[in-house]
Amino acid sequence: MVLALLGALSLDTPLPAADLILIERSDCYTLDPQRMSYQHELRRARVIYETLVNLRAADCAIVPGVAERWELSEDRRTFVFHLRDDARWSNGDPVTSADFVYAWRRAILPDSAADYSALFFAIEGARAFHDERTAALQRFTEAAARGEPVDARALWRETEESFRRTVAVETPDPRTLVVRLKAPLAYFLDLCAFPCFAPVHPPTVERYVSFDRATGRLVQRHDWTKPGRIVTNGAYVPTVWRYKRDMRLELNPHYWNRAEVRAKSVECRTIENPNTGVLSFQSGGADWLTDLGPEYKTEMLAERKAYLARFRADIDAGLERGQTEDDAVGALPPPGPGERRDVRGFDAFGTDFFSFNCRPALADGRPNPFHDARARRAFALAVDKQELVDRVTRLGERVTGTLVPPGSIPDYPVVEGLGFDPARARAELKAAGWEDRDGDGIVENAKGERFPTVDILYSTASPRYQNLALAMRDMWKRELRVAAECRGKDSKLYKEDLKKGSFMIARGGWYGDYGDPTTWLDLQRAGNGNNDRGYLNPEFDRRMDEAEAETDPVRRLARLAEVERWLFTEEMPLMPICNYVTVYMYDPSRLGGIAEHPRLEQDISILERRDGVLPAAPAQESLR
Amino acid sequence: MSAPGSTTSVTGLVARRLLQLPFIVLAVYTITFVLAWSVPGNPLENPDGRRPPAEIVEAMKKQYKLDDPVAFYFDYLGKASGVSWALGRHDRPFDLGPSLKQPDWSVNEILATGLPVSMTLGLSAMLIAVAIGITAGTIGGLRPGSPVDACTQVLAIAGISLPSFVIGSGLLMLFAVKLGMFPVGGWGGIRYVLLPAFTLSLPFAAYISRLIRFGMIEEMGADHIRTARAKGLPRWKVAFKHALKNAFLPVLSYLGPATAVALTGSFVVEKVFAVPGIGQNFVDGVLGKDITLVMGVVLVYSTLMVVFNLAVDVMYRFVDPRIA
Repeated sequence: MVLALLGALSLDTPLPAADLILIERSDCYTLDPQRMSYQHELRRARVIYETLVNLRAADCAIVPGVAERWELSEDRRTFVFHLRDDARWSNGDPVTSADFVYAWRRAILPDSAADYSALFFAIEGARAFHDERTAALQRFTEAAARGEPVDARALWRETEESFRRTVAVETPDPRTLVVRLKAPLAYFLDLCAFPCFAPVHPPTVERYVSFDRATGRLVQRHDWTKPGRIVTNGAYVPTVWRYKRDMRLELNPHYWNRAEVRAKSVECRTIENPNTGVLSFQSGGADWLTDLGPEYKTEMLAERKAYLARFRADIDAGLERGQTEDDAVGALPPPGPGERRDVRGFDAFGTDFFSFNCRPALADGRPNPFHDARARRAFALAVDKQELVDRVTRLGERVTGTLVPPGSIPDYPVVEGLGFDPARARAELKAAGWEDRDGDGIVENAKGERFPTVDILYSTASPRYQNLALAMRDMWKRELRVAAECRGKDSKLYKEDLKKGSFMIARGGWYGDYGDPTTWLDLQRAGNGNNDRGYLNPEFDRRMDEAEAETDPVRRLARLAEVERWLFTEEMPLMPICNYVTVYMYDPSRLGGIAEHPRLEQDISILERRDGVLPAAPAQESLR
Repeated sequence: MSAPGSTTSVTGLVARRLLQLPFIVLAVYTITFVLAWSVPGNPLENPDGRRPPAEIVEAMKKQYKLDDPVAFYFDYLGKASGVSWALGRHDRPFDLGPSLKQPDWSVNEILATGLPVSMTLGLSAMLIAVAIGITAGTIGGLRPGSPVDACTQVLAIAGISLPSFVIGSGLLMLFAVKLGMFPVGGWGGIRYVLLPAFTLSLPFAAYISRLIRFGMIEEMGADHIRTARAKGLPRWKVAFKHALKNAFLPVLSYLGPATAVALTGSFVVEKVFAVPGIGQNFVDGVLGKDITLVMGVVLVYSTLMVVFNLAVDVMYRFVDPRIA
């Protein structure tokens, strides 16, 4: 037994050191770009696959990717993409326009259950094709259940034909892709940079396709994503993937822009335990910890603050010269005791909020006081968000009264929501018919019925939401004289209650997917799958449609901002608290290339070990 | 205890136990299935927001037979046991299905990467536990009441009562972070195994040392030991050749279930030391209602458990032929 153990151990050796080592909290669930939906997966997809256009990490500008140039038609509905000659798959095959069409078809097909298939419905005919296939599969399933002869392959051939007929993507030649949209879409290029729009290598993927005999569905086995089989067109190819352990990326020898790739090999380790992740980073085991988890990160951020305070003047001088904060901080002397610079919090492209249940009645049939926008406004106005951030969440979050994080979308104006105003909160509640009529300290309506005990639902996955709920309960008691009860549930049960509308106020949150305010505002549309609030207001949908119909991009954003302002000063379907803070662990004197843009789209291929030697500040040279 | 004539042969025992195996595993499968199915939630949904359209979720449920518990129960059982394959209805035997949460990985693949790691960790821990337990127990048992005995007893109680995440974090801080003798987390080679295996071994070592200590105290006062001493055999020879052999018997019967517990119960240690074993996958599977993953892991582990207990019973027969 001892010999067997030693044998097993000697076979299982660590990999040779990589140029860059990351620690992630969780492993990728999938490397199939059409099925991805988690941030860490999408981040890895951006360097494994290349889309038509790329988002430049530093400023989120659209830059050429597989397409070297593109044209937009006069009516702003037809894009013509010209693919570069030297775009290659990692096996040397050229990347063709047909590869994109193949990948996009996978995403649109209901068979694939792609989380983001709705993003493709901007393309003319995509929605119709999706619905047609869904209906055909339904008929197939029923016929198969009745025992009638059915042929999934014949149905698939019809589907392929129908895709060609219905969906307005064309490939006049292997280097040209023509896409016609159902209506002008200002952010379509931004979508094209989203990893779900990345191509896949059809011969590799097609090998693992079969058809389900009972439902007719196309069944994709994912064996093709494993190292040795997977063929990619981005900066890297995965060469090792041991599940929930590590993934190794090596430079794709055929990538056209390989000269710009800094680290030739990247190791992505998975360490789920937040403490172990920190210890591993601190013992020199990694360059970047992508998600600092432990509760004591508040104290770690305070140590950074202390360090920055000591060198405030030097940092400001550096920033004035045009240095990034990382470059300025990285050039300083090492931190002393009680100080650190290897941790940094960024305002993320995400907003933490609490949802109001906007349905006319609660799940148990009682009338819902929050159906009335005045009551929703009252509750929002009575919450002191700054106090919540300073005393409860304590990560230095930026408080907000709206959904779209300020500064994250170019040309989108900063929208002000409602602030903390207890006097106005009481007035709003009174206007909604609730006031303390008999002097017992509890508000009642005209019929003398007490305001129902407010049911605050949150998930117990992290203590953050329990603490927030308790603090808000006290604020509402103090300012509005209503009683509230906090109901913490395991995240699955929380999710179910949310879906059923079984709550009055519930924890929520959202991260934006693409660089347009609609990724946030569409949440309130009737029929949106993530409209947990049951907020159905034709007036909102009408205002959104009108704003989106605006053809001038800047005016369109201004009109959307107007809708958002109306939404969060009048309607208040949800109460924004603050923008999320993402905390990374990396030492700016040892790692360069972390982007500071609010969308935090990090590009692994431009990260670079500095080993203490800093490049001269470029702005300094230009000043001379 | 039965008469010597009625003792069944070892082959008979093995054959009988192997015949029982499918029924035991089936019972475990059924109970786990009922429990796992009644967990609320939908494995096809992501926990953090994005929801696919309802009709897609419905179609996927149909494909994985998640809309029909009875169909799922028999379909999964057939594929996992290899019966569907034997009947020509499926292309592979022992197919534990795709993981519902991790579409790129089948349950077979997850087990293939995680199980060897967990086994190595669990068995290393048992080896360490036996070594520490016997040494400490013998020292204490030979001189009951002495300061050495008191020390080993206190350590044993600490080993049983301190949770492994406390011991593990402490060892990690001291040996990996402060002294840099071992890597902080991960897997790959003997340097990665020692700390987690030691952490995992402590409660077992403590229990074994107590078993050995009581056995030794009892044995050293027994008639045959006194006889041996009276014949003039040196004390250490009597202790090791005669007393320890008998004192070890209860340890042997403890080792079967203990090994199974070490293999299945290692997920806390796996988590603290970032060991890529099966425990973490299993916990995530339960929390995410990844029903194929949960069923697959339980099937494999219950089979292993039956086999381990059988192995211990067989060993027992060689050590003590009186046991039937």
